[in-house]
Amino acid sequence: MDFELAIRITEIALGFALFQQSIEHLRTYLIERIIFLPRAVLAVLLIVGVATSWVIVALLVLSIVILYRFDGPYNGGADRMGLLVLVCLVLVHFLPTLYWKELAFGYLAVQLTLSYFISGYVKVINPQWRNGHALSDVFLFSAYPVSESLRCFSRSKRLLLIMSWLVIMFELMFPFMLLTQATLVVALVIAAAFHLSNAVLFGLNRFFLVWLAAYPSIIWFQERIFVTI
Amino acid sequence: MIFSALKLLLPAIIPSWNFFDVIVPSPRIQIALLQSKKQTKPEWAEFRPRPRSLSVKQLFVHLFWNAQWNESLFLVSCAERLIDYPTQHSEEEIFTRIINDTVLKKHKPQYEYIKFRLVFVRREGEALIEEVRYQSKARQIENDR
Repeated sequence: MDFELAIRITEIALGFALFQQSIEHLRTYLIERIIFLPRAVLAVLLIVGVATSWVIVALLVLSIVILYRFDGPYNGGADRMGLLVLVCLVLVHFLPTLYWKELAFGYLAVQLTLSYFISGYVKVINPQWRNGHALSDVFLFSAYPVSESLRCFSRSKRLLLIMSWLVIMFELMFPFMLLTQATLVVALVIAAAFHLSNAVLFGLNRFFLVWLAAYPSIIWFQERIFVTI
Repeated sequence: MIFSALKLLLPAIIPSWNFFDVIVPSPRIQIALLQSKKQTKPEWAEFRPRPRSLSVKQLFVHLFWNAQWNESLFLVSCAERLIDYPTQHSEEEIFTRIINDTVLKKHKPQYEYIKFRLVFVRREGEALIEEVRYQSKARQIENDR
């Protein structure tokens, strides 16, 4: 994927993710409307492609204001990934040479890879994940299942053991999927399906959209590194 | 100012990505509405209990609009913060949202005060253990309207 195209698709996808997050805050508190209404407007400008450089700077400043407002991220990893994408885009727009711009965008691709690999690593070293109890606990008593009926999955020990190992193996293998474009595409489809299932089962809808926004970086990165070599 | 901005930004620029590494005790927010500040033995009820089940249509809509659920996840973060490093901010966030949800939207003018507690659920063997680890002071509702 061409560098410029990858950047533009990232901007559009991030615009959709930030717009979706922002409108969820417009329903109640005045202070949140004051912060998130401009953010929703900026997200639309980012999608359309108007004054993009300054729009992403404004979005980054607003993101820091939001961190202050909530004394940290409002939605954990989803907010952090959104911020990471924003920081990398700001660097891409303002760094002076193509070399540095590519380095900044490549950093996003590396972090995306690490987001899967480290998640897999911390699970595989934990016996509770290896024997399936950890995933069972997620369904049994964690705050995440979106309905009580989902808690009954905690009793499907064999299924959860298989699912635990599938998730661990996929996350650990993710960096190796970068070796060819075909394997990367397969990995990204599986990863998107994984995020979609997390959105459905655990209500983590913000993760789904914001992680997709980082995918163009890794598609470009794979081509830049492995095809060039 | 710059230092505190960096402190907030750094975990995003250099993330840890250790999602679900350990399944820690999970907080539930329970609330009690009181007619007087000195009311003993309040009736505790879970704040925003999750529904029995959701339809396919609801699940689909929640992919794009899941405001209340995301707010509930934020309150879980506040509950965890309140135990790990207590701040006034976390307690205020919880109070503001439970008063808005419980009292203002459901019109319960007979209650003067509200308080909440944090019950942490964990598994020990095959049993689920609940432990109250935080209880707020009663707060007059009128002040927040």
